[in-house]
Amino acid sequence: MKQMKLFLGPQHPGMHGNASVHMFVDGDIIKKSYLLPGMLHRGFEKQMERKLWVQNISLIPRVCVPEPDINEMAFAQGVEKLLNLEVPERAHWIRMIILEMARISSHLMSYGGLGGPTGNYTIMYHAHADRNSMLDIFEKITGARVYHQYIVIGGVRQDLPKGIEKDLHEFMDSLESRIEEYRDLGVNNPSIIVRVKDTIMLPEEVVWELGVTGIGMRSAVNKPYDLRKVLPYARYDQVEFDVPVSDYSDARSRLDIKLKELIQSIRIIRQCFEKMPEGPVRVKPGRGQSMRWTVPKGYAYSPVESSRGEFGYYVVSNGGTHPYRVGVRGASYPQGLLGIEKYLPGTRIDDAALWVDTMGVCSPEIDR
Amino acid sequence: MMNSTNNLDFVKEFVNSKVQVLKTESVDKQQLAFEVNQNDVHLLLSSLKSAGWIQMSYLSAIDWIEENKFEMVYVLFNWDKPVYIQVRAKIDRENPVMDSILPIFPGAKYYEREVHEFFGIAFPGNPDYKKQLILEGWDDIPPMRKDFDPKVYSDRKFPKREYPQDFSVTDPKNNSKAKREAREVRATSLRGGKKQ
Amino acid sequence: MKSTKFTPVTKLSKEEVDRKWWEIGDFFRRNSLWMLMYCTGCCAIELPPAMTSAYDMERLGMGPMATPRQADILLVSGYLSLKTLRRLIYTYEQMSEPRFVVALGSCPINGGIYHDSHAVINQLDQYIPVDVYVAGCMPNTESVMNGFVDLMIKIKNKTAVGWKNYHKNFEWYKENQLNSLGEVVVHDEFHQ
Repeated sequence: MKQMKLFLGPQHPGMHGNASVHMFVDGDIIKKSYLLPGMLHRGFEKQMERKLWVQNISLIPRVCVPEPDINEMAFAQGVEKLLNLEVPERAHWIRMIILEMARISSHLMSYGGLGGPTGNYTIMYHAHADRNSMLDIFEKITGARVYHQYIVIGGVRQDLPKGIEKDLHEFMDSLESRIEEYRDLGVNNPSIIVRVKDTIMLPEEVVWELGVTGIGMRSAVNKPYDLRKVLPYARYDQVEFDVPVSDYSDARSRLDIKLKELIQSIRIIRQCFEKMPEGPVRVKPGRGQSMRWTVPKGYAYSPVESSRGEFGYYVVSNGGTHPYRVGVRGASYPQGLLGIEKYLPGTRIDDAALWVDTMGVCSPEIDR
Repeated sequence: MMNSTNNLDFVKEFVNSKVQVLKTESVDKQQLAFEVNQNDVHLLLSSLKSAGWIQMSYLSAIDWIEENKFEMVYVLFNWDKPVYIQVRAKIDRENPVMDSILPIFPGAKYYEREVHEFFGIAFPGNPDYKKQLILEGWDDIPPMRKDFDPKVYSDRKFPKREYPQDFSVTDPKNNSKAKREAREVRATSLRGGKKQ
Repeated sequence: MKSTKFTPVTKLSKEEVDRKWWEIGDFFRRNSLWMLMYCTGCCAIELPPAMTSAYDMERLGMGPMATPRQADILLVSGYLSLKTLRRLIYTYEQMSEPRFVVALGSCPINGGIYHDSHAVINQLDQYIPVDVYVAGCMPNTESVMNGFVDLMIKIKNKTAVGWKNYHKNFEWYKENQLNSLGEVVVHDEFHQ
């Protein structure tokens, strides 16, 4: 039979981000497919070499748009490794609170993103209403709703404002009481189960072949391979939390894991508020004017566990005031590019948009 | 839990027994970096993969324009003995050719395609490393090289908006220094001629 | 003596009849604008709160639309890289008239934070006529809604004429597009 060319283009209500999937289809089954990235390319790595170490704070959050705090954390950690700088104790706990809040808002956005491919827009309304409350809390702490620029080299920019603990606890209580509602809307909803159960299964060998990390790996391998447990950074070894895994790796169990991770993040934030000490929150990485700070020579790779997988920054310094080379390892690079080429043929057309959503392919990370 | 210093020593012994290492650095408690020759990269990567380092995290290149060399970087990770290993190798800048590591790590296909597009390094062994991935219809030298200036390119191709007044804060005639010195002279004379 | 009960009405010319129909059409058009769903850049993150129940867009009469042939507003959210601009020009020329363009963020105004990048255009006005700019990096959702209300006022005052300018200065726009982009045709393995 003749094959037809089809593209699930950038302008599509079901597409999560600005990238297009090009397919050759035969009836309803995909025969060959690949992703076309590059529509969000801004030349970040080149621009970061032209700015000072301090000026990069404003460029860095724009690399990954739904969850900008992991960028700042990975860059600050990498430079602190080169400088051998010890960050004050209170700053570590505040960083953990901010990272877990970003993880909650990113999971809400990708869970609500089910509305586009399946046509079931109720989930989107609920999830984005909750995410909006979270963005308002971010505005009270950092001053901006989306691009925070709060985690800097040497700590955190300023201390938490008074009364933020009450706001966060109110929000977390209301979210926890409604997790069952989210479960009924998404994972246990009969009209979504038909699309999501037993589709896009990922066996274990495929995970190691592609290099997938994050929820896709944990649902296929059935072990708690999470960077917060294996290589703890920023005081994650002093809080108790579980890492949810599952032994059946289809799209429905991945959505289930997302809801369970939401509950664990709420647990971490509660413990952080109890255990946080008082003290300063920032230390200067050099003497004198900030425009003349230098970093000694070295090559450092600093990974962070984001909501989609392992997110890393590779920082190279020449001993000068500008970075020599900054490389970004996007967490959705393997599952977006390689996964769609090797793994999508054999499935149906409507699974393409679902792959992009449930595996967490975020296109600004791939293009930078 | 694992004993991290045990793991680091194990890795150092293992790598030193396989290939000749030019430089070793320990970046962190759980990260090691080795610099090796270009011909030993394949042997080292495949032996590390059989020893348990099966996840390739990152592949890229760095441009050292003064030494006239490119430097390839590979970062590997093992979830059971958690140590990050960086493997680096320098190659020639005039004719950059590096054997592809596709038979060892199939996930390297798109990383190498992107490195070719941005630096100009050839990877024989990778069937379609020449196709453009992120740029489309690019007509200049590979953009991540150090002799490419993005501001010159942007000013040439994309016109900027013109403003009626001059909002720039640079000072081409360098008047600010003279003004500052005149201000200080006036201030000391008002204070009675003594410098504070 | 002229009677006061019945005064004969003078016959209206064709232009005046057209103008009255356009006024009625503008009233319905500005109270029910439909927006094309196309997230081109980073400012698109502030769109879901506007579309859903947080800052409801539907009380202004606006709703989302899937195809460009039936949409009124093309929302350019944020910066535009070269690849996206080629597809955006395709989309803009497929929309039916009258059509309006709203630019979010400070990147379409003068390049924004990416002004010295080799892959981002600096000024959107050279390639496509723009009606309303919303400044900020990134603009708050309330500013976006403010921008939509400004567009409605502009339609009422008959100053939202970007689409007419595109026809008048078509050669100028095309020349700018070809200078910066090289060619507007999309080249991948499909559009040969």
